[in-house]
Amino acid sequence: MKDSILTQKLIKEAEQASLQYYTRRHFLKESAMGFGALALGSLLGSCGTDNAPPANSLFDASNPLAPRPPMFPGKAKSVIYLHMAGAPSQLEMFSYKPELAKLDGLDCPQSLLEGKKFAFIRGVPKMLGPQANFRQHGQSGLWLSDNLPHLATIADEIAMLNAVTTDQFNHAPAQLLMQTGSPRLGRPSIGSWVTYGMGSENKNLPGFVVLTSGGNNPDAGKSVWGSGFLPSVYQGVQCRGEGDPVLFIKDPDGMDRDLRRASIDAINKINQDQYREYQDPEILSRISQYEMAYKMQISVPEVMNINDEPAYIHEMYGTEPGTTSFANNVLLARKLVEKGVRFVQLFDWGWDTHGTSASGSVDIGLVNKCRKVDKPITALILDLKQRGLLDETLIVWGAEFGRTPMQENREGKDMPFKGRDHHAAAFSMWMAGGGIKGGTSYGETDEIGYDIVSGKTEAFDIQATILNQLGFDHEKLTYESQGRPFRLTDVGGKVITDILA
Amino acid sequence: MNILAVLLFSFTDFIGTFHPLLVHLPIGILLLAALFQLLSQREKFQGLAPAVSIALFFGMVSAIASCISGYLLSDSGDYDEALIFKHQWFGIALALTSIAAWLSERYKVQNKLLPWLIVFLIFMTGHYGGSITHGSGYLTKAFSSSGKLTEQKRKPIPDVQQAVAYQDIIKPILMSKCYKCHGPDKQKGKLRLDIPDLILKGGKGGQVIVAGNTDESELIKRILLSKDNEDHMPPVEQPQLTKAEMELIHWWIGSGADFDKKVNALAQSDKIKPVLIALQSEEVKEAVKFSDIPENEVVAADSKIIKELLNRGVALIPVTKNSNYLSANFVAVDTISVQDLKLLEQLNQQLIWLKLGDSNIGDKDLRSIAKLNSLTRLSIERTAVTDKGIGELRNLSQLQYLNLLGTKISAEGLMQLKGLNKLSQLFLYKTTISPANFAEIKKVFPKVQIDTGGYKLQFLESDTVELKTAGKK
Repeated sequence: MKDSILTQKLIKEAEQASLQYYTRRHFLKESAMGFGALALGSLLGSCGTDNAPPANSLFDASNPLAPRPPMFPGKAKSVIYLHMAGAPSQLEMFSYKPELAKLDGLDCPQSLLEGKKFAFIRGVPKMLGPQANFRQHGQSGLWLSDNLPHLATIADEIAMLNAVTTDQFNHAPAQLLMQTGSPRLGRPSIGSWVTYGMGSENKNLPGFVVLTSGGNNPDAGKSVWGSGFLPSVYQGVQCRGEGDPVLFIKDPDGMDRDLRRASIDAINKINQDQYREYQDPEILSRISQYEMAYKMQISVPEVMNINDEPAYIHEMYGTEPGTTSFANNVLLARKLVEKGVRFVQLFDWGWDTHGTSASGSVDIGLVNKCRKVDKPITALILDLKQRGLLDETLIVWGAEFGRTPMQENREGKDMPFKGRDHHAAAFSMWMAGGGIKGGTSYGETDEIGYDIVSGKTEAFDIQATILNQLGFDHEKLTYESQGRPFRLTDVGGKVITDILA
Repeated sequence: MNILAVLLFSFTDFIGTFHPLLVHLPIGILLLAALFQLLSQREKFQGLAPAVSIALFFGMVSAIASCISGYLLSDSGDYDEALIFKHQWFGIALALTSIAAWLSERYKVQNKLLPWLIVFLIFMTGHYGGSITHGSGYLTKAFSSSGKLTEQKRKPIPDVQQAVAYQDIIKPILMSKCYKCHGPDKQKGKLRLDIPDLILKGGKGGQVIVAGNTDESELIKRILLSKDNEDHMPPVEQPQLTKAEMELIHWWIGSGADFDKKVNALAQSDKIKPVLIALQSEEVKEAVKFSDIPENEVVAADSKIIKELLNRGVALIPVTKNSNYLSANFVAVDTISVQDLKLLEQLNQQLIWLKLGDSNIGDKDLRSIAKLNSLTRLSIERTAVTDKGIGELRNLSQLQYLNLLGTKISAEGLMQLKGLNKLSQLFLYKTTISPANFAEIKKVFPKVQIDTGGYKLQFLESDTVELKTAGKK
C-alpha cells in the first residue's frame, strides 16, 4: 500500500520535471513548426478530402464485395491458382530435354556460368540429365514425364507455357513477384486485385480464399495473399483443412446465435456513430466485415466440409476428410468456386529439391510430391468439366521459378542426393479452362533447358492473361495509392494471346 | 568537284527537311498580322498599328523561306504531283501577297483587300499541304463510315486453305502497314504497293520482289534490317510488322509471289502452317466470340427491380461494364420465392445468364423461367426439375448453354428441347439418362457439345506408394 503511494508520488514528480523542462522558448519553437504543419494540412486537405476513395476507384465502402461487371466479356468467372511453393523441377515434369541426358555428369561449360548468379551453386557444377522418362500425350503430342501419369490423360485440356522466366532466384521475392507483381512487400496480391475488380457473387463467403498444404506456408508468408494498399477487405482469407476452417469461427460455449446477433448489432451501431463523425470508409468496411463474419459462421463450415461428398468424388480426387492435404484443398477449391468464390489460391509447400535429403531430391522427393498432386489436379479439371464449370474457371498451375539443368553443388561440394538449384531463367507453367485453348503450348527453351529461345513469358504476362480472361484490361485495373495509380502488372505485361481459345 | 556537288545536293535535301517545320511560321505570323491589320482599323485597337509592319515583315521572310525549302523538298519527288502543283503555286502566291502587303504597309498605301487575301491563301496552301502529308480526303475521314484506310478490318477467313493468298492475307498486311507511304496518295521512293503490276515494277531502286527468291527481294531485306538501320521498313516511327506478318510475306514471296492462287495451291513449310492456321482460328474466334451476349443493345432494365433483387442477395450485374444485358446468380439466396421469379420476369429483355443451381426451384417455376426468352445461359443443376417441367424451356430460343447436372431429367424429357437450335453446350452428368441413350441424344442434338461426365481416373498402384529410394529411371 505504502509502495503504491510512493510510486504515485514519483510519477507525479517526473511529470512535473518534464513539464518544467519545456520552456517558453521550446513552446514557441515547436509551435512554429506546428502552425506550419497545420497550415499545410488544411492546404492539402482542400485539394480533396482525405477520406474520399481515390478517383476511378471501384471500391464501395458500404458494400466492398458487391459483385461488379468486368470491363469486357471475360470467359472466366473465377480462378483456381495452384502454386507449388519451393519450385518443382520442370526438367522432371514438363520440359523434355534429351540432349541434357547426353551431358549428364559432365562439367557445366564455363560459358553458361559467366556472369550468372545462383542461390547455392558455386564453382563448376556438373550437368544432371533428366531423372524421369518422358512420353508424348494426347492429340497435341505434349511431352510429359512419367511422374504425371494422370495429367497425361488430359494433356489436350492444358496450355503449356514452356518459357516462363523471372529475375528473382530466392523463394520469397520470387513468390511475391508471381503473386503481387513486385519482389518487395507491400503490393496487393492477384486475388486481391481480382476481388477488388469483381467483388464476390456470394455475399455469404469471402471473395478470395487461400488454402495451404505441405506442412508450411510459402516462404514469403501471408504477404502473397495480402491486400497491400488495397482496402483490407480484399485480402485472402486463409482457411484450414483440419478443425475449424477459420479459427474461432464457432460461437463460444454459452453464446447462442441471438446473443451473437445482438452483440454484432451493438458493435455495428457504435461503428455507425463513429462513421457519422469521421466519415472514414474503413469503418464501413469494418461493419460489412462483421456482417460477413456473422454469415460466414454458418456458410464457411458448410462449404469447407468435404465429409458429405460422395465416395466416387473422394476416389477421384484421392481425398481423405479430416486431414490437411493438397487433394482435400483441391476438392475444396472446386466447392468454393461452385459457390461463387472468385479466387481460390492454393499453396503446396515442399517442392524445393536441392538434393540435401531424400525428400528434397529430384528422383525421390519430387516423385512423391508429384504423386500427391497429379491425381487431384486431373480430377479437378475433369470434375469441373462434367459440372459445366471448366469454361468459366481458369486454372493456373505454377511456381516461383524452376530448377537448374546442373546438379547442385552447395559450397562447391557434391550433394548426398540428386538435386537441382533454383533457376530463374527458364521454367514451365500451365493453364487450363477459363477460355484457354487446350492442347497448345507457347515458348521454347534451348536444348538443355538453361535459357529461353522464344515465347518469353514473365510474371506480368501471366497476370495480364489471368485478368484478361476475367474480362479486365490489366492496364486499366488500377488503384490510386501514394499519389499515383498502381496496377498489378506495374509497367509490364502482355496477354499471351497464343494460348487463348 | 564531284564531292562538292554531292555535298551541295545533300545540303539542299537537308534544307528541304525543314519545310514541315518552317511552314508553321508564316501561318501563325501572317494570320496574326492580318488580324492586327484588320483590328487596327478600329479606333479601340489603333495601338496595334505599329505591330502590323513588323509582323508582316517576319511573316513575309518566313513565307519566302517556306517556299524555298518546300521547293527543295518536292525535288525528292515522292509526292503526288497534282497536289504538289497546287500547294506550290498557292504557297508562292502567298509569299508574293505578303511582300505586297508589307510594301503597302511600309509606304502607307491603304489596302483593305490584302489581309483578307492573305487569310484565304494561308487556308488554301495549308489545306493542300495537309492533303500531301495526311492523304487527300483527310478532312472528311473522320465522318466517312469506311473509317481510316489503314484500319480497315480484314475479311474473316473461315478456312485459310481456301483463301486467296494475296487478296485475303498479304494485301491486308500491305494495306495496314505500307500503303500510307507506298499507296495511292504517296509513292516514297517511287514505290507503289497497292496494285499487283506496280508491286512487280518496283521503285526508284528497281524491283522490290523477286518471285521465289526471298534472299534477293529488297522488300524482305528492308523488313528484316535491324531497326537502327535507317533503311529499315516500315520506318521506326510507323507501326511495325508483327512476326507473323513478316513470316507470311516471306512465305508468299518464297512460294512465287502469285497474285491469284489460293493458299492450298502454294507450298507450305512446317514453319508457316501454324502461322496460317492461327490466322484462321483468330478470325473464326472473332466471328463467334462471346456470342452469348446479343449484338443488339437493349434498353436498360428498371433499376427498382434490380435493387429489389440485389437486396434479396441475388448477384445481379451487367454482363460487362457498358452493357444493359444482365447476369443473375442466386447462389446466396436461401429460398427463391414466387415473388423473386415475378421480379425476374420483368427483366426478360435484359437477363441473358441465369444461375439457379442447388436452389429450391422445381417444375412449376420453369413456367416463369420460360418467359425469360433472352436467356443464352441457364444453370439449373441439382434442382428438383423433372421431365414434367423441362418442356417449358423449349421457348428459350436463344439458349446456348444448359446445365441439367444432377436433375431427374430422362432422355424422353430432354427430347422436348430438340427445337432449341442455338443450343451448343449441354451438361447431363448425374441425370437419369442411361448411357444406352447417349448415342440417341447425340443424334437428336448433332451440333451440341454434350457432356455426360462420369470421368474416372485410372487406379495406379504407384499413387499409394511413397518412394524411399530412387526408383528405376
